Amino acid sequence: MASVYLLILKRFIFFALLQGLIFNNFDFYDIYDPYICLVFIITFPIKVDKITFMIISFVFGFVLDMYSNSLGINAAACLSIAFLRSYILSFVFGSFYDPHGIKLIKNYVLESTFSQKFLYISSIIIIHHLFIFSLETFSFKFISLIVYKTLITYLISLIFCATFIYIMIENEK
Amino acid sequence: MQQIIDFIIRKKDVVVYLILLSFSFALILNSNYFQKSKVLLFSNNISNYTTKNLNYFNEYFKLKELNYKLSEENLVLKNQLEKINEISNLDSLTNENFLYKNAKVISNNLSSFKNRIIVNKGIRDGIKNEMGVVSSDGIVGIIDNTTKRYSSIMSILNIEMKINAKVKRTEHFGTLEWNGFDTRHLTLNDISETAKIKVGDSIITGGMSLIFPEGINIGIVSKIINQNETHSNTKGSAFTVNIRDDSIIDLDIRENYLNIEVKLHNDMSNLNNVYIIESFNKKEFQKLKK
Repeated sequence: MASVYLLILKRFIFFALLQGLIFNNFDFYDIYDPYICLVFIITFPIKVDKITFMIISFVFGFVLDMYSNSLGINAAACLSIAFLRSYILSFVFGSFYDPHGIKLIKNYVLESTFSQKFLYISSIIIIHHLFIFSLETFSFKFISLIVYKTLITYLISLIFCATFIYIMIENEK
Repeated sequence: MQQIIDFIIRKKDVVVYLILLSFSFALILNSNYFQKSKVLLFSNNISNYTTKNLNYFNEYFKLKELNYKLSEENLVLKNQLEKINEISNLDSLTNENFLYKNAKVISNNLSSFKNRIIVNKGIRDGIKNEMGVVSSDGIVGIIDNTTKRYSSIMSILNIEMKINAKVKRTEHFGTLEWNGFDTRHLTLNDISETAKIKVGDSIITGGMSLIFPEGINIGIVSKIINQNETHSNTKGSAFTVNIRDDSIIDLDIRENYLNIEVKLHNDMSNLNNVYIIESFNKKEFQKLKK
């Protein structure tokens, strides 16, 4: 169990710095940044219990907020994704999902169909982006802005996250 | 009682989720209004330290462009100096209202709806809230939070930002806003339809709020959208046929405002050196306004 927490700590630092220092300055068409930090939550070990998972995600989002000067927005979004992930997993993978975490994320990625992987990653990305952008504007006046920006940022995030997950998942314990 | 405790234990992840969520909402609401919480002061200093160190590398790659920009600015300044030398008796009243201080951009991110820029001057250097910020090409934003060494600027690319601006040629006033996507264009609202504005007119700051001095370049008009052109035409013609009372028609026309798209002079994604403007007469002005 200790090795799992060490792995989480390593990923925590790696993705926080990667997002904060490099991908926040990605500037695709000046305003679209991919959220590579979601890989941390998507590939978080399932055997860690849910409350610990939520607290770690909250702190992770808080660290990201320091880099983007938006206090609380990333924290709320990451926390919500952590809360919803078990429901998304059971919805997407059905009986293949076991809540006790005997299977690794590696198994989910390698032993499922393409549509399942796609649905799992994209639903997490879309919910996260909707959360972030609606909290940022904090009013319904800009609903079309939020949806439009979510869709474009989703496409970029999907490409980067999928690539990262495939690279990382190879050496998961 | 036992049942309630059982319920809480069964749903403990939901309870934890709600507690943490309300905590983050409290953070969001507080930081949106004042951004003065101790947490932000502390966290700003840590994250700015790392971003600043990374910036040393980034700056190196931008050196060539930066040199070019500086030499351009030098040229403009030299020309201005020439002009000032030519006029021997300066009007001291207009010039001593504002003081310029230069600062360097540490972090500048355009990906949010409420963009902020961090610069390396803070309270220590005499920076206060609500000071205007300009670059060599045009306006950049307004200072909205300061720490000891750093201060954050509310950029003009922020959906909450409203800046008083006017058309240089016709002197019509309006408010400048951002639409949320296009980083090169802003929209100028509330200009009446009667103003004869053409594409290519230059837009400058209005000087009504004393945050910015009057006459700083912002951009040029690139497109004019008449908000309800077709709507007013049909309505107007109906009135002229039925009623011959001019006053009613006048009222109807007056409701129309132009939406003008303004192309910015400065490139907000590529800011390096900015100037912070301190206004000396602002307190006096605000007293009068009350």
